[in-house]
Amino acid sequence: MADNNVIMRVENLEKRFPVSRGMFRKPVNFVHAVDDISFAIPEGESLGLVGESGCGKTTTGKCIVKLYEPTGGHIYLRSRDTEDYVDLATIEGKRLKRFRRRVQMIFQDPYESLNPRRTIFDTVAEPLKVQGMGSVSEQEERVAEMLTVVGLVPASTFMFRFPHELSGGQRQRVAIARALVVEPIFVVADEPTSMLDVSIRIGVMELMSELAERMGVSYLYITHDLAVARYMCQRIAVMYTGKIVELAESEELLAKPLHPYSRALISAVPVPDPRLSRDVIEIKGGIAKPIDPPPRCRFYARCQLADKYCEENDHPPLEDKGDGHFVACYKV
Amino acid sequence: MTTPLLSVEDLVMHYKVRAGYIQAVDGVSFSLEHGRSLGLVGESGCGKTSIAVCLLRLLPDNAEIRGGNIFFDGADLVALPEDEMRRYRWDRISMVFQAAMNSLNPVQRVGEQIVEAMQTHWESISVAEARERVAELFDLVGLQASFIDRYPHEFSGGMRQRAVIAMALSCNPDIIIADEPTTALDVIVQDRVLRKLEEIQRRLDMALIYISHDIAVIAEVSDRIGVMYAGHMYEVADSVDIFERSLHPYTYALIGAFPSIKGERKELKTLPGEPPDLLDPPTGCRFHPRCFRALDICSQEIPPMRDYGGGHLAACWNPLEVD
Repeated sequence: MADNNVIMRVENLEKRFPVSRGMFRKPVNFVHAVDDISFAIPEGESLGLVGESGCGKTTTGKCIVKLYEPTGGHIYLRSRDTEDYVDLATIEGKRLKRFRRRVQMIFQDPYESLNPRRTIFDTVAEPLKVQGMGSVSEQEERVAEMLTVVGLVPASTFMFRFPHELSGGQRQRVAIARALVVEPIFVVADEPTSMLDVSIRIGVMELMSELAERMGVSYLYITHDLAVARYMCQRIAVMYTGKIVELAESEELLAKPLHPYSRALISAVPVPDPRLSRDVIEIKGGIAKPIDPPPRCRFYARCQLADKYCEENDHPPLEDKGDGHFVACYKV
Repeated sequence: MTTPLLSVEDLVMHYKVRAGYIQAVDGVSFSLEHGRSLGLVGESGCGKTSIAVCLLRLLPDNAEIRGGNIFFDGADLVALPEDEMRRYRWDRISMVFQAAMNSLNPVQRVGEQIVEAMQTHWESISVAEARERVAELFDLVGLQASFIDRYPHEFSGGMRQRAVIAMALSCNPDIIIADEPTTALDVIVQDRVLRKLEEIQRRLDMALIYISHDIAVIAEVSDRIGVMYAGHMYEVADSVDIFERSLHPYTYALIGAFPSIKGERKELKTLPGEPPDLLDPPTGCRFHPRCFRALDICSQEIPPMRDYGGGHLAACWNPLEVD
């Protein structure tokens, strides 16, 4: 815990889901959805967590906000006033509730994440009520202020409307206001713009970056879209079936990916310019669900570089190959 | 110039709802030549899928083609009686629908479903012949022949999408319409399906209409690109020209708003406002309330489609890059 610039440090996080065979049988197998991952996020920085469906990126996010109970590891969050760290993985009850204020989450689908029967005011004020922050009139003031900040102006015309009266972009702004109204220091944003149209998306991305700066929020930005991660995050971590296989500064990672999986993933992203060509890196096979996987490298079966050493040893550790470019591969 | 294979002229298609007509497609024209690919790009509700539905005449109950023509191989598909239209649908123009991978019947073997589709259109084909053709099609889309007698749940998402493409190819169409066929797929699988589709299109010398909101995907698969906004077509040009010399400010905004992982990290441009309500769209150019180059005339008259040379068409009163 020496580096006091770090606001969130995840150490050896693990989440396993039991797979039951039959309703009354004891689970005998486990999906290793998140398997021993570690990363640290300095204050004011955002980390992009990218990967394909089922790689464990959303599970990681849900563990951090404690929507899932991790089955192992630590989630250290720095408290705002003191320089101490608290392990969110172990705290419970009142203390956990207090720390929920510090860590919030924004979900992917603004059509699903807002209660259709509640007004915008009720939705945004709810975290304030839960946390017992301020009187009703203070809450009203705070909500109005927050709606203004996210660009829903004039706030008074939005306060008592219902989600169905708003467009997708406006709804996502409400979701952002709800997450930020309690002034968290850390926000898990799970694909917050992937349901939005291009012309609306940039506005929401800009708003999130601007708020990060203004309110001193750090994001764990979960996305399948590497181009969005490039614009939102200083660093990017690539996940593959529960493991972080590469983590580096965004431009560095996209320009010089080292892990064979990141290389294939990046090469497959279409480029919005017919004048630019891209290399095609074929990888064999598809993603298998990590149900009690063998201890070796998760990418072994699909990897062009894999050899006997990869087969016989445990999953490679995430190591710094210079300048903070971390890779988990024996062959790099 | 040769006669195009498909020529859509001034197409108007509206959806009737209680409050009036949703003007989903309004005065859209474009053409497509044999063996070429056209990408239709635009945001949700711009009318791109509605156009596809018109081409196949698979209109929902509340939709109505209220004007225009669709000339295909000498016939006007808008005017054809339904029994004649059936000869064109699937046999000559086929379609891969959005989320088509989930449209396979889960309790029927994939091969049988394709055989059935073929027999509906080619009554004379025997089961043996049809099965042989399925094997060829599987090979073409890169699926193992052993999967012909398997059920959809045994296929991965990418494989199911390829099976649906095989089905769309089964009657040897002249045009295949692909509506967001890879949107539900992960990027590595999407890349495989796209490359397969391009390869097949080249090899079979088939025309392709590719519909997507994703201008990056469109840029990769299309020879020409049509840019739609709020039911109007605002620009049609060769792919490189669309990017190199955008004429309509919406095209420019759309490209400028799209992040890329390649090239320098350019600043993304925001577009103010939101797309209009098509029950009561803005007069004139439907983009004018959000346009940074709007003139007085833009709100009064619909801009006509003009040729700016080299087949670069745009409908704008104040286009970019024109002296």
